[in-house]
Amino acid sequence: MMDGCPGARTQDFREKETKGDESGKRQSQLRQWPIQLHLVSPEAPYYQKADVLLSADCVAFTVGDFHKDYLKGKSIAIACPKLDEGQDEYVEKIKSWIDDTKINTLTVMIMQVPCCGGLVAMAQQALQSAKRKIPVKSIVVSLQGDILSEEWVEA
Amino acid sequence: MERYLNTPIKEIITSFPEVGKILEEYSIGCVPCTLGSCLLKDIVAIHNLAEDKELELMYRIEKTIYPERDIKKPVFKASKKEPDKEIRYSPPMKRLVDEHTLIKKWIGLIPQVIENVDIESESGSQLILDGLDFIRFYADKFHHAKEEDILFDYTDKNLDIIRTILADHEAARGHVKEMLKAIGEKDTNAIIGHLCAYKDLLTEHIKKEDEILYPWIDRGLSTTQVGELFAKFNEAEEKMDKGVIEKCQKFIAEAEQRIENFHRS
Repeated sequence: MMDGCPGARTQDFREKETKGDESGKRQSQLRQWPIQLHLVSPEAPYYQKADVLLSADCVAFTVGDFHKDYLKGKSIAIACPKLDEGQDEYVEKIKSWIDDTKINTLTVMIMQVPCCGGLVAMAQQALQSAKRKIPVKSIVVSLQGDILSEEWVEA
Repeated sequence: MERYLNTPIKEIITSFPEVGKILEEYSIGCVPCTLGSCLLKDIVAIHNLAEDKELELMYRIEKTIYPERDIKKPVFKASKKEPDKEIRYSPPMKRLVDEHTLIKKWIGLIPQVIENVDIESESGSQLILDGLDFIRFYADKFHHAKEEDILFDYTDKNLDIIRTILADHEAARGHVKEMLKAIGEKDTNAIIGHLCAYKDLLTEHIKKEDEILYPWIDRGLSTTQVGELFAKFNEAEEKMDKGVIEKCQKFIAEAEQRIENFHRS
């Protein structure tokens, strides 16, 4: 194991015992394209009055039942608050979701690593500068896919 | 035991007063409830106790009702489901809790109002009238209306807990009506009696909502429903006269000083 940034530290989970039902296939719950936050138009029809999931890039690879438990019924955008450039534009797009597209709720799903908190901060910044107010929820995922916390964010 | 699970709690407590004491040990305050029509099984479900605590509670109640029976004591393993001590509300529910804060400030002032009540003087009767306006416009039209017209649509209105809450609202309205009548008749004793009864009713009512009802409703709401509720509360507030609400907030901010001035004069 190496020290350094928790977001980039090498960790090996190959020995982890996998449990659960491996049989059958699940349908994708994705209802739109594109999904990357730079590529999406905040005024796209699938965001109108929707429950929007803003997910850190790594989350979908970490949570086993991401589609069933978190994506189902929601419109999505993904972003990386550590590596992506032009994050001012992200804040403007989130604000546009709130004010122009009049989304119903925003759920921000992030990894437990410190750099991921930037995505929640962006959502809070957008919410504070928006004219409308909506409920915003933050869900934090552990590196092995467990849900560490799920709570509503103060504006 | 099945029979008692489907029995209103008041009946059980009347027949077995010890059950009321046991419930209180688990912070379940059914004893002073105005109706007591909730079924024992619903009360246990609504309070979201940790699994081991729920088993322990049910064992003790059953043992109290049937002391002669050989009831097997459950093994109380430490539970994984230990609910948070701090209650975290969704944004719409948090708004209702915040509104309670202002109502509780008025309730906290009622003993001082009663101590200084002087219905014969203009300033004395005006203080009572302004307090009643606060109850009618803020506590009732602004706050209770959000519950009755919006929030309770997300529940089964036939459930006993909702019927109990609605009965509290009606009882509060009854006290206001009687107080208005008493002011007209300059009946100081009736004013004091109804103010006291209102204070006791609302103190218990707010505790019930903050600690039991709102967390229980919150547990059953989807993210979509939380967003809908939040938007509907916003719409309801936009339709209300902002001047009246500001006047109510100003009344609470100034009431303490008014009571103090009144006391000095």
